[in-house]
Amino acid sequence: MNLYEYEAKRIFAEYGITTSPGVRITKPEELRKIHFGYPLTLKCQVLVGGRGKAGGIKFAKDLKEGESLAAQLLALEIKGCKTESLLIEPKASIKRELYLAVTLDRGRGCPIFIGSAEGGIEIESSENVITVPVPGKFQPYIARDLAKKLGFSGALFNKIADCATKLYKLFEELDLDLAEINPLVITEGDDVLALDGKIIVNDDAIGRQKRFTGWQEKHLTDMSVREGRAKLAGLNLVELDGNIGIICNGAGLTMATMDMVKKFGGRPANFLDAGGGSDAEKTLFALEIVNENPDIEVILLNILGGITACDEVAKALVEFRKKHPNRKMSVRLRGNNQDVAAKMLADSGLKLIADVEAAVKDAVAQANSKTPVGVK
Amino acid sequence: MILIDKNTKIIVQGVTGKMGASHTKRMLEYGTKIVGGVTPGKGGESIHGIPVFDTVAEAMSATGATVSVIFVPPYLCLDAGAEAIDAGCELVVVITEGIPPQDTAKLIAHAKAKGTRVVGPNCPGLITPGQCLIGILPGVIFKPGPVGMISRSGTLTYEVALGLTDAGLGQSTCVGIGGDPIKGLGYAELLTAFNDDPATEVIVLIGEIGGTAEEEAAAFIKENIRKPVVAYIAGQTAPPGKRMGHAGAIISGGKGTAESKMKAFKDAGVSVATTPLEVVDAVKKCCKQPVTK
Repeated sequence: MNLYEYEAKRIFAEYGITTSPGVRITKPEELRKIHFGYPLTLKCQVLVGGRGKAGGIKFAKDLKEGESLAAQLLALEIKGCKTESLLIEPKASIKRELYLAVTLDRGRGCPIFIGSAEGGIEIESSENVITVPVPGKFQPYIARDLAKKLGFSGALFNKIADCATKLYKLFEELDLDLAEINPLVITEGDDVLALDGKIIVNDDAIGRQKRFTGWQEKHLTDMSVREGRAKLAGLNLVELDGNIGIICNGAGLTMATMDMVKKFGGRPANFLDAGGGSDAEKTLFALEIVNENPDIEVILLNILGGITACDEVAKALVEFRKKHPNRKMSVRLRGNNQDVAAKMLADSGLKLIADVEAAVKDAVAQANSKTPVGVK
Repeated sequence: MILIDKNTKIIVQGVTGKMGASHTKRMLEYGTKIVGGVTPGKGGESIHGIPVFDTVAEAMSATGATVSVIFVPPYLCLDAGAEAIDAGCELVVVITEGIPPQDTAKLIAHAKAKGTRVVGPNCPGLITPGQCLIGILPGVIFKPGPVGMISRSGTLTYEVALGLTDAGLGQSTCVGIGGDPIKGLGYAELLTAFNDDPATEVIVLIGEIGGTAEEEAAAFIKENIRKPVVAYIAGQTAPPGKRMGHAGAIISGGKGTAESKMKAFKDAGVSVATTPLEVVDAVKKCCKQPVTK
């Protein structure tokens, strides 16, 4: 779960990292109540990257300009994401900008500091990146190592190391995937200040991070409406632009099924992993949400039951057919209780295809023809 | 032998939970030597004819088990895994999905320090057909034979195993290493084990998008593996930046694409299949013995 900049900064401040004195507004007239002087920075609060390039950050020299810019920015959509609010800050006095982050390094299997002596950059494309892995228990000397590698000495060395230590602490305590300060600013007065911040909370940890309970619903903006609903129901849906709706059990099998659809001349409309051990209710939800996509011609259901019971899937299919008897479908159902499932589906008009490639080819043929060939 | 055989004695952590209990029953039916279970507070009870203990140490000393399989809920796995490691388990298999990755990182670091091998988390487990099944794999799909398998995906393992078995090609051992970005045993350790295993003739590697483990495996194969390897990568049509079900299956910053992984394998002389059933054809070509159905 991505947090908004203003939320990330509140957390930084809680952990003792200095941030600009920002105010969040949702209406232009709220600018009148702001007590710090002009010029001001107005920043769109959106959950996508590339905000600056998309014109989501503006500077105002006075209230009049501020109100007109605020109205404009509040209406701005960036990469399809609506602006949630604006963060208003005094324009910072910047001597230097750095990059500082903690994330998980999947190769090393441990947390890692990433730093750069240039800030405000896209870290993937930067050449001056310094990394310091944290393979065991964190100790503050690791943050000092980082400050040294970034080239600091004297009072600033301690300030940078202290900031990195605090960043690590919040990364660990809040179960984050990423805690990023970009840029971390050194002011004219040699203070260290988080000018922009990004926090990604690990989705699997939200259940034990009580402060984020209920936050997911308002942090789904990088998803389509259906993807968001699926996520809240505990299913993983990714929508694409094809016309064959795909539902499988297991992430690997779902990806492989998408790949086969493409290989045999079809266009996948989505990835939907109904998960291992899904019951009839969850499977029915999966069928319904895929069916809602107006671009769908055919639904391809590919279930290989390990822990998923085929009769539970069949129960959902029987229900679904009652409501949507004309929906073209290709169904492959194999594994646990498959004979029971076949009996349950005997009157449904659906033929069960045992072979996976045959099922995919059937779906592609149905998607590309006018008459339903999968129905007896 | 890869990690387990017919004599391996196993305990189940979380044995009285819904998942733990039902899969304990299935493992016992398969013939796996499940000798005990652990649920704190339920020591002295029994389930499916096996004794339940309060602690792993107690269960191991009473039963002689050397392996633990973990079915406890995600937030309890770090504790349960550490208990198994400190009690002296040689192998810990973590089935649970949804463990926060920082917990997994701590668990794996602990295991490395103690020399314990971990399979998973978020995996189906492993099977040596006809001898031992640990985890949630459907045993009926697998048959003994010459094909070794290493996979990041559960159901895709079943799909390929089903294709192999239907074609008369059994399996020596199949190991599901799990779909999480941070995990225990990886490709290199298992490729080496299969390379040294007299029962394995061909190695099948099933990867998916995300990370660079497959690229590293390709380089490792080129240097170290003399048996034929067939690779398959799921997610050739996956869009970038989207998590495809598994926590580890995401293309980020242009890294982790199926294309890059398939190219790395081709460059390393590995046979690359584009669908699960093509894996079966490629394996057939590699087998020394004629296939008898």
